[in-house]
Amino acid sequence: MILVRMPQRKKELTVPGPKRVMDILAAAGVRPTTVLVTQGTRLLTKDQRVEDGETVDIISVVSGG
Amino acid sequence: MKCKRCRKAAAAVDLPSHHSAFCPGCFFVFFRRQVEEGIRKFSLLEPHDRVLVCVSGGKDSLVLWDILMELGYETEGLYIDLGIDGYSDRSAEKVAAFAAARGKEPIVVDLRREGVPIPEAAKRSRKEECSVCGTVKRYFFNRVAASRGFTVVATGHNLDDESARLLGNVLHWHGDHLERQHPLLPGEGDGLVRKVKPLWRVSEMETAAYGFLKGIDYLTEECPMSEDATSLVYKEALSLLEEKMPGTRSRFYMGFLTKKGTFLNFLTSAGVDGAPLSPAEHSGKCAVCGAPTYAETCGFCRLKEKVGRGTVR
Repeated sequence: MILVRMPQRKKELTVPGPKRVMDILAAAGVRPTTVLVTQGTRLLTKDQRVEDGETVDIISVVSGG
Repeated sequence: MKCKRCRKAAAAVDLPSHHSAFCPGCFFVFFRRQVEEGIRKFSLLEPHDRVLVCVSGGKDSLVLWDILMELGYETEGLYIDLGIDGYSDRSAEKVAAFAAARGKEPIVVDLRREGVPIPEAAKRSRKEECSVCGTVKRYFFNRVAASRGFTVVATGHNLDDESARLLGNVLHWHGDHLERQHPLLPGEGDGLVRKVKPLWRVSEMETAAYGFLKGIDYLTEECPMSEDATSLVYKEALSLLEEKMPGTRSRFYMGFLTKKGTFLNFLTSAGVDGAPLSPAEHSGKCAVCGAPTYAETCGFCRLKEKVGRGTVR
């Protein structure tokens, strides 16, 4: 399973791997243009494949006010 | 996916709106060029300017300060402590750490000391937090800049912010707001300092990617007061359009800037708002504090007066 962390929403979920980033975002219900997907110090593009057992973070880039 | 510029390294940032994807090194070049072009297009900054950069601890303002320093501008950061328990402390820490790492110390205005911490000021004046925050920030941006000899105030508003604001202004036909919506608001001799938005060409995602890849430790937490902000609804709507039709956001805002004159002439002739859309000119100085204002008393002093009279419900 891939561990998907969304720190701003204080939420985590797991999805079966391997999966492309865009499919992980769809599973998490997140619009691709509103987030960065990171793995440690790396930034992942939406077509990148994430392997089973790996962890990614979804960071929202939208600020309001 | 390979970088479309160097065609060697793996891409780290894909930008459908530009039909492109970049490795970190090439993305820095792309981002820097976008900001430089944004500054050049409307002559936002001159080499001799002393720039007051308004920083909140979030990605946009810290990236703005970082890139303006990199571009060689003389800058200082202004941090306004909004008086929001916890959140303001964490954002102040981010700003202080960012500045210290670059040999700087931010100028700090503490709204608790000024008698207008945002949560309490909003309750007492019975206004929305974001509206109160905007009034207070604009006041101190100008006051600090004018009193300390800065020639320009720079804020981190990006393409997403400006296009969302444009959508809101168009949906409600705010003719007067449309008139003043621009990356450059000229200053006037008697205490109104020029205001600029050098990040107007770059998206929120691009700014966040730049900050992340540059290792800028910004606050990812959202302001707790902005949860119900209408700007978020407009951003959500534009994100949907952007996803289906990449580049829409940019065409919307840049098209407005290009065709603004024609568009506003049309609104005026059509009588929208029922009043001519001549640019608002500030008539003089606030009777209470002496700040430049369009009315007899400036927005900040009117707010303070309401806060003083109000009670927390």
